[in-house]
Amino acid sequence: MTHEIGRPLLRVRGMLKMFPGLVALDRVSLDVHPGEIVSVVGQNGSGKSTLVKILAGVYAADGGRVELAEGTGLHFIHQDLALVPELSAAENLALMRGTGAGGLAPFHDRRRSERARELVARFGPVFDVDVPVRRLTPAQRAVVAISRALDGWTHSANVLLLDEPTESLHRSEVDVLFEAVRRLAADGTGIVFVSHRLDEVLGLSDRIVVLRDGHKVADEPAHEVDESRLIGFITGAEDGAAVPTTPRTSSSGPREARAEPDAPASPPALRVRGLGGGSVDGLDLDLRPGEVVGVAGVLGSGREAVPSLLYGAGEASADLFEVTGAAYADRSPAASLGRGIAFAPGDRAHLGIVREFTARENLTLPQLGTVTGGLGRILSRRERAESDLLLTEYDVRPHRAEQRISLFSGGNQQKIVLARALRDHPRVLLLDEPTQGVDVGAKATIYAAIGRAAADGTAVLVSSSDAKELLAICDRVVVMRDGRAAAMLQGDDLTEHRLIAEGYGLP
Amino acid sequence: MTSRRAEIRRALSFRNISAIYIFIVLFVVFTVWIPEKFLQVGVWRSLLDAEALTGIAAIAALIPLVAGSLNLAVGAQVGFSAILAAWLLGVAELPIAVELPTVLLAGALIGLVTGLIITKLRVEPIIATLGMSSILLAGMAWVSNSQQILGLDPAYREIATSRFLGITVPVWVLLAVAIVTWYVLERTPVGRRMYAVGFAPDAAHLAGIGVDRLRIGSLVAGGALAALAGALLTSRLNAGDPTVGPSFLLPALTAVFLGATQFRAGRFNVLGTIVALYVLAVGIKGLQLAGLPRWVNDLFYGLSLILAVALSQWEKREKRASAEPEAGASPSAPSPTRDAAGAGG
Repeated sequence: MTHEIGRPLLRVRGMLKMFPGLVALDRVSLDVHPGEIVSVVGQNGSGKSTLVKILAGVYAADGGRVELAEGTGLHFIHQDLALVPELSAAENLALMRGTGAGGLAPFHDRRRSERARELVARFGPVFDVDVPVRRLTPAQRAVVAISRALDGWTHSANVLLLDEPTESLHRSEVDVLFEAVRRLAADGTGIVFVSHRLDEVLGLSDRIVVLRDGHKVADEPAHEVDESRLIGFITGAEDGAAVPTTPRTSSSGPREARAEPDAPASPPALRVRGLGGGSVDGLDLDLRPGEVVGVAGVLGSGREAVPSLLYGAGEASADLFEVTGAAYADRSPAASLGRGIAFAPGDRAHLGIVREFTARENLTLPQLGTVTGGLGRILSRRERAESDLLLTEYDVRPHRAEQRISLFSGGNQQKIVLARALRDHPRVLLLDEPTQGVDVGAKATIYAAIGRAAADGTAVLVSSSDAKELLAICDRVVVMRDGRAAAMLQGDDLTEHRLIAEGYGLP
Repeated sequence: MTSRRAEIRRALSFRNISAIYIFIVLFVVFTVWIPEKFLQVGVWRSLLDAEALTGIAAIAALIPLVAGSLNLAVGAQVGFSAILAAWLLGVAELPIAVELPTVLLAGALIGLVTGLIITKLRVEPIIATLGMSSILLAGMAWVSNSQQILGLDPAYREIATSRFLGITVPVWVLLAVAIVTWYVLERTPVGRRMYAVGFAPDAAHLAGIGVDRLRIGSLVAGGALAALAGALLTSRLNAGDPTVGPSFLLPALTAVFLGATQFRAGRFNVLGTIVALYVLAVGIKGLQLAGLPRWVNDLFYGLSLILAVALSQWEKREKRASAEPEAGASPSAPSPTRDAAGAGG
């Protein structure tokens, strides 16, 4: 299947997008021809989603242009599909179409359902179009979304952009979706497929475009690319050679600065066997005092759930759960804090802080007992002094303990969250995406603080979608896949290439 | 000491203590308008006494609200407790020493049940308390037969009507309740945690705070206080009147919400509540003395409630706008002012 015939339907030329202190897209160009399936891949922060958002009109580009061939329509399927879950497939499909008489004209149920069945039949077996879409399988929902995107097509030619459409799909359902996509392409539609699942990308695409740090680093026919080369493009180690990656920020060297972890003879700070809950299904883990352990994995692998499950924030089960050798049942945040387990959640705005509180009130909230005196009174002078000290130690700017925390920048909020978690010198520190939405300077401060905590004997667990971050701060990394630990990487094995390959389940 | 001066200026700013400026305006207006009626010591003394029970009811609404539960049943709680008190004294003929603790306990129990409905059955507070309010009204009608309960122990009347240092007992009770509540909310870990629960329950849970326990506890405390107001109401009327209680709801909530715009901008607080309560009462009193019809009360409270909430929303927006440039600015000079960035004074 070569589709280089004729003019491309979609031409992106020299697309430039800058954010403060960051070039998100650096003059990226892209062509999509009729009937061609072009995949766009890259890591978090590579510029993938920025490109999608510019095409969708969410962001305005700082330079470059997008050209559509005469009479071509551009359509989007976003990750969340944008369906109304309580309405049936037929109703969802009818939403987009005008009803003519001012939206108050009665509609014909039967005709509407027939039309819906016709539409979905183009993509494979017909399913019940009259039940609420929330009762359909994820793949069927995706088909509804695609049908809806297609239904309004009045153009002679079309380009369909699918943004991480397989995120919520089970492996077996992905085929249903791909069959639909292939049928569309066979009819001459141009497809842009944005994904981070490399096996799918390799299986589906005609051409693969790789973005890295805002640059287009590869634009190759799919049959000339194999997994190893693809990972090489994505990580920047060309040809897929296992080149160890150096930490991104020069000042973030806690790995080197820290003493060796304790001998394995001492009991682990935290030992868990068969941890289950959420998307995690049977995780075994040991955290030793003084070590920084990373948790990696693609979205949906269970990676993001591990810290909160260990903290006792969600419903979790475990065959064995020990803190420094003592069994720990009936887990809850309060009990975890009591046992010296601290947690800094990833959703900072909703879970990490009380936005209406000042920095000081947030800092002392979990451990108010240490600043409480006679008559159950908060000793405000001591509380203030302690807050001031913490703001200095964690380099929070501006140095204003009485400022509302929501008025600090994201990076400084995160420093406060970390300062709070470390205030009582916990045995175990659980971090979820510790530098999400954080600027480079704050990142260095946060890495340094993590390193100091580990040097003091705290066992640190870091769950992160940022492979470079894990490489920079972790002694070893657990790679999650389908809710379990798929690999444990350390020493020379701990490379960006291995991290990503294991995450995708590639050899 | 510029920061000191800025702090004082901020403390005196209209935004921080608008209720006090409004009070001054009201005072001047009514003094000019109806001086012969308005400037009477008796008027002010009766005002102080008349609003004391509303003040206790307002604090009964304030405490759960701090922990995130809007209690629409406060009026019904006061009314039910008042009828219960009258029934225990007049019909069951129990001594005051038994009656009073029983009423308080019943009030606490009502709070407990409401708290369990909210936390265990996961019913939104506004719905749970609306339902509870209706149930209590039914209970009142059942106990009282929708009639006044008369013939109470004359000694009971003494409680609400006797004076100490020229001021009636309910005012002293309000003062004591206000001071204790202020202390707990502003000066203890329990109060800090209650605010955290009210603002961000999920974050509070992750900070190891027993969210449900605090929610229930706040409703129990609020229930007991509403019962106290009810018991004093029956004492003052020397009768159990099934029609009076529910009218406490609007003034109480208005005072709490208007109070949240005062002193500790954006936080429900005791001092603001009490000041707002009396400012509103002065406005009402002045209008009454000027001869306006009684329905002006409802109009006044309704408008004030909406105004109070609108004011706090506006303040939130302003705060954000004025704070943005400042947030990233000069990293030095720790500032002693509270909510410094939002001061804009």
